[in-house]
Amino acid sequence: MAGPPARSRAELVLSLGVLALGIGATYIAFSLPETSSYARVGPNFMPKVVAAGLMVMGLWLVAEVFTGGWREAVPDDPAARGEHAFSYVGFAWVSAGLFAQMALIHTAGFVVAAMALFACVARGFGSTRFARDLALGLVLGLGVFLFFVKFLNVNLPAGWLLPLLGGAGL
Amino acid sequence: MTETLQALMSGFGVALLPVNLMWGFIGVTLGTAIGVLPGVGPALTVAMLLPLTAKLEPTGALIMFAGIYYGAMYGGSTTTILLNTPGESASIATALEGNKMAKNGRAGPALATSAIGSFVAGTIATLLLTLLAPIVVDVALKFGPTEYFALMVFAFVTVASVLGASMVRGLAMLFLGLLFGLVGIDDQTGQMRFAFGVPELMDGIDVVVLAVGLFAVGEGLYVAAYQSRVKEELERMSGSLMMSREDWKRSWPAWLRATAIGFPFGTIPAGGAEIPTFLSYALEKKLSKHPEEFGHGAIEGVAGPEAANNASSAGVLVPLLTLGIPTSATAAILLAAFQNYGLQPGPLLFQTQATLVWGLIASMYVGNILLLILNLPLIGLWVKVLMIPRPLLYGGILVFATLGAYSLHQSVVDLATLYVFGLLGFIMRRWGFPVAPAVIGLILGPLAESQFRRALAISQGDPMVFLTHPISAVLLALTLLLVLVPWIIRVVRERRKGV
Repeated sequence: MAGPPARSRAELVLSLGVLALGIGATYIAFSLPETSSYARVGPNFMPKVVAAGLMVMGLWLVAEVFTGGWREAVPDDPAARGEHAFSYVGFAWVSAGLFAQMALIHTAGFVVAAMALFACVARGFGSTRFARDLALGLVLGLGVFLFFVKFLNVNLPAGWLLPLLGGAGL
Repeated sequence: MTETLQALMSGFGVALLPVNLMWGFIGVTLGTAIGVLPGVGPALTVAMLLPLTAKLEPTGALIMFAGIYYGAMYGGSTTTILLNTPGESASIATALEGNKMAKNGRAGPALATSAIGSFVAGTIATLLLTLLAPIVVDVALKFGPTEYFALMVFAFVTVASVLGASMVRGLAMLFLGLLFGLVGIDDQTGQMRFAFGVPELMDGIDVVVLAVGLFAVGEGLYVAAYQSRVKEELERMSGSLMMSREDWKRSWPAWLRATAIGFPFGTIPAGGAEIPTFLSYALEKKLSKHPEEFGHGAIEGVAGPEAANNASSAGVLVPLLTLGIPTSATAAILLAAFQNYGLQPGPLLFQTQATLVWGLIASMYVGNILLLILNLPLIGLWVKVLMIPRPLLYGGILVFATLGAYSLHQSVVDLATLYVFGLLGFIMRRWGFPVAPAVIGLILGPLAESQFRRALAISQGDPMVFLTHPISAVLLALTLLLVLVPWIIRVVRERRKGV
C-alpha cells in the first residue's frame, strides 16, 4: 500500500495541530484556580469550554482526513486555483524583509528598516531593480517618519539618521 | 418618528462640522483607494489605523473609519471591472459581468452603473438604518446579560458556519479566536490566563497585531508565494461614462432589488456582503429580459451585486451600533475602535453618546454623496492608482502594516508576533480556514464571557436561565439548528450516495 498522498498529509498535520492546541489549552485550563465568586463560574470555565471546542474540531478534522479528506478543501493543484507553483524565492524574500526590519528598527532606525523591508518585499514580488526599490523605500520611510513624528506626534526611532532627523520630533 | 428626525438633524449638525467633514472625506477617499487596490481591504486598513485612536477625538475618528468601510465597497468595483481581479471578496459577483463589459469596450457604463447603484443603495440603506436603529434599540433595552450571551453565541456560530467553505474549519477558527481572546488578565478576578509569564502577553493579544498579521503579512506571504509571477491584464478605460437610456432602464430595478436583498443580509450575522451579491446576481440573471447576455457583459449583473454590497455594508451597522454585535471582520475591528475610546456600542450608546452615534449615521449620507463624486468624475485618478506595479504596492502595504503594529508599544516583540500571525494567515489562506471567525472571536469573546458570568451571577448560578428566558432559548435553539441541519443533510446525502 502506498503512503497517503501529500495532500492528506498536510491535512492530517493541521488537524492534529488543532487537536494538540486543544489538548494543551485543556491542560492549562485545568491548572487555573477555581477562584469562583458568588457567580459560581471562575476564570477557568471559559478556557475549559474553548479547549473542549478546539479538541472536538481537531478530532472532527482528523475524522475527515480518514474518510476521504477534508470536505470542500482548497484544490491542491495551484493551476486549479489560478495560481503558480509555490515560489520559495518569493516567500523567502518577503520573510527576509520582515526579519531585516525587526533587526534594524532599534539600531538603524525606522527609516532604514522601512527601506530594507520595502526593497526585500518588492524583490519577493519579482522586481529586479533593487537599487531603485531601495531608493523608493527610503523616500517612503522618510515621508512616513516625518508625517508620524511631526504631524501625529507618534514617536518612531530615528537610529542612524538621528543627526539628520534629530530635530524632527521637536 | 419625530424623535428620530430630531436626532438625525442634530447628527447632521455634527457631521457637517468642517473638521468632521474633513475626517469623512479622508475616510471615503482612503476607502476608495484601498477598495481599488488589490491586497488591502477595509478590515486591514481600519486595523492599521487603530493606533491613531490614541491621538484623535472619537467622533472624527469613527466617522473616518466608517468612511473607509463603506468607501471600500465603491472602490472595489473599479478594480473588478478593469482588472478582473476582485479588489475585495464582495466584488467577486461583479467580476462575472463587469470585466466582460470592459472587454467589449463598455467599461464606462459598467463603472457608472456601479457607482450610481452604490450611491442609490448606500443612501436607501442608510435611510433604513436610520429608521430601524431606534426600533432595535427599544427592543434591546429590555435585553439582559442572558439575552446578550445567547445573541453572541448565535453570532459566533452563524459567522463561523456560514462563512467559508467548511463549517468545521470555520468553528475551529472561531475557537482559536476565542482562545486568543482569553490570553491575558481576566477582568473579573485578575487571574492571569495563557500568558506563560510573558509580559507582552499579559495585556492580551492586540486586535491590531492579529488583524494586520492575518490580513497584511499573511496576504503578502501568500501572494508572493503563489501569485507574484502571474501577469495581469488591465482593461483600457474606454467608452464614455454616460449610460444610455437602455442602460438606465435595465439598471435601476436591479439597484432597488439588490438593496432589498443586501440590507437585511447585512443585519444578520451572515458574514457581510458576499452572499447577498451572489443572490442578487442570480436573481438578476433569472429576471432579465436578456438572459443570453449574461456571461457576455449584462449590465444588470454589475448593477445588482454592486448595489447589494453597499446596502449590506449599511446593514452591518445595525447590529453593530444597536447591539454591539459585529457580523463581519471589519465590523469587529470597528467595535475595537469604539472600545479604544471606552465606548461600548449597544442600546445605551444611543442614549449616552447620542450626538456621536447620530453624527456617525448622518456622516454616511454625506459620505455617499462624496463617494459618488469621487467615483464618477474622478474615476481616471483611481485607474492610475491601479497601475502601481505589484512589487511596489506590496512593499508599501507591508511598510504601513508593520508601522501600525509597531506603533502600539514601539516593540520588536509585536513585530515578531506579527510574523507568527502572518504565517498563520498564510496557512489559513492556503488550506481554506476563514479569517473572520478568528477576528470576531478575539474581540467578541471577552464580552461574551463577561455577559455569561453576569447572567449566572443574577440567576445565582443556575445555568437553566439561558433556557427559561424565551428570547435566549429561541436564539440558542436556532444556533443548534444552524449547526445540525447542514450536517444532517450532508450525512444523509453521503449515505444515499454510498448505497
